[in-house]
Amino acid sequence: MSDPKYYAGLDMGSVSIKAVIVDERGMIASGLIPSGGNYKTVAQKVMDNTLTQAGLSFDRLSGLVITGLGAAGAPFAGRQVSDISCQARGCSLLFPSARTIIDIGGQFTKVAKITPEGRIADFLMSEKCATGSGRFLQVIARILSVPLDEIGPLSLQSEKPVEFSTNCAVFAESETISRISEGAKPADILAGVHRAMAAKVAMLVKRLKLTPDVVLTGGGGQDSGLAPAVGEALKINILVPEFPRLSAAFGAACLAREDHS
Amino acid sequence: MTVMQAIDRLYNERGVRARELRADGHKIIGYFCCFVPDEILAAFDLVPYRIQGSQSEPIDEADALLEPMACPFARSCFNLALKDRYDFLDGFVAPHSCDTIERMYHIWHSNKPTSFDHLINVPHMLGPSSDAFFRNELKYFISRLEDFTGKKLDESKLRDAIRLYNRRRALLREVYDLRRENPPRVSGTEITKLLVAGMGIPAAEHIGLVSAFIDEVKKRPRPAADGLPRIFLWGNEIDDIAFVSLVEECGAHVVMDDLCTGSRFFWQDVSETGDPLEALARRYLCTHCPRSLKPQAGNRREDLENRFGYIREFADGWKAAGAIFYIVRYCDTCELEGPDLKEYLTDLKLPVLMIEDDYSTSTIGQLRTRIQAFLEMIM
Repeated sequence: MSDPKYYAGLDMGSVSIKAVIVDERGMIASGLIPSGGNYKTVAQKVMDNTLTQAGLSFDRLSGLVITGLGAAGAPFAGRQVSDISCQARGCSLLFPSARTIIDIGGQFTKVAKITPEGRIADFLMSEKCATGSGRFLQVIARILSVPLDEIGPLSLQSEKPVEFSTNCAVFAESETISRISEGAKPADILAGVHRAMAAKVAMLVKRLKLTPDVVLTGGGGQDSGLAPAVGEALKINILVPEFPRLSAAFGAACLAREDHS
Repeated sequence: MTVMQAIDRLYNERGVRARELRADGHKIIGYFCCFVPDEILAAFDLVPYRIQGSQSEPIDEADALLEPMACPFARSCFNLALKDRYDFLDGFVAPHSCDTIERMYHIWHSNKPTSFDHLINVPHMLGPSSDAFFRNELKYFISRLEDFTGKKLDESKLRDAIRLYNRRRALLREVYDLRRENPPRVSGTEITKLLVAGMGIPAAEHIGLVSAFIDEVKKRPRPAADGLPRIFLWGNEIDDIAFVSLVEECGAHVVMDDLCTGSRFFWQDVSETGDPLEALARRYLCTHCPRSLKPQAGNRREDLENRFGYIREFADGWKAAGAIFYIVRYCDTCELEGPDLKEYLTDLKLPVLMIEDDYSTSTIGQLRTRIQAFLEMIM
């Protein structure tokens, strides 16, 4: 029997850098570190940690695919693939019934329609507008002094979500401050933010003509309040991977594996 | 100097030739868009200069005078004018191509007046009454030029100019024919440089450059098949190589376009027979800028065919595998035309990527993901 083979995917995002290692069967190790100001060092660290977790050295990898906004600055040699293709590959392996992927990242929201084989059929990206991206949540959470991973659980306690009268993150920031002064609860504000984002995301999905099943991934998938809000806006159930922030890195690793099969 | 070096010089040092010509006593007339007949200016021995912006320079001084939510191309051009980069212009002509350019006339006129400022009224709906109207507008333009130069229009010189510019058009179409090869021996990046270089020099000089370029390309060996997708580009002003280079770097050949800085400004000839003014009026009104409207033709299918049939011929003839719409932000006419054109091309099974951008090379990197994903999708 020949030695087992291992493949890695590296996703250099604007908020965090992720690495996933797969063998012939599936994911065996993963890592995630906030991107900070030096993508190269962080990418090296994430890769080292993930390799240690898998008990491997870098030269044991048979293939590497790199993706994400910072891919050009990766400290490793590997094939570069767009994160939209990597998400398509990853989500389609995680959910074979997936036909639409919503990836809510730090900078952009991307919506892709995929074929049953996991290839992109069409896609759209939010324009340079923070309302449809993870940045909007980060801005509001900072005003409310709510840690990012508590946004979801807290928003689910809302009884009366705040209605935002604007779709602009900059104006919403000042609107949030006015609402706080009027006594609105943080839970209601966050639920309102989810609704505003969901409306924006639903518009993108409808432009591509809604095709279920829909998977929500990226940092936005980590927020347990956002998927139900998007589901409500689209009137369907939304699937979320177990590790939504890793699906592009996972797809990249699987693409590296396919390169060698 | 090789032909590519000559093109690079004109591309990189915008206005360099115009400054030299001016130093030799020529008068330079700057103008916007593809609606101003170069032939008329040339018939008065004036040098036409197509005004360009700069995608690599931030818009600073212009934003002290204008609101930032207007066409960044127009703002960038005006910004350069405020910084005296167009101080070689003896005249400034703006056509009413769109509302932005029309207003740009007044703003430019108020802040940077030249000795010959002129606005040409260009009708928006195509048809016989518009041809007649535009012919009159061109007559008025000529009478103002007669006052400015102190000379009467010499009709034989106008006919000569028409023939000269048609020759340039024929040569540029020949360059575009070379792009039909697969893989092409000439890149979209080189084409962009060749076209932009020609916007600031007299036609006779551009003709020499284009002929030499064709000879140079024909000597290149035929590259081996590379399987890369062939892209058709639709949009407005691309007077910088940044975007086209990015598409080609991502692994594609940009082979055909419908752009104000591309096929739109040279594709159709001016008729050399009959009344030259009528011929010019017809030719310049038919520029494919989406600001012009064709009267409704039949049902929706027939109407789309009537509006966009020429694009189908471009895409088929140049075997495009995908179309990219590159729209400079706030260009309402392009943004509103885009969805209909996308529907038309999608029905023809030509995938479309629609991009709205800021007319700035610093934002172009962010487009890489989208272009890569699009190319991966159509491969």
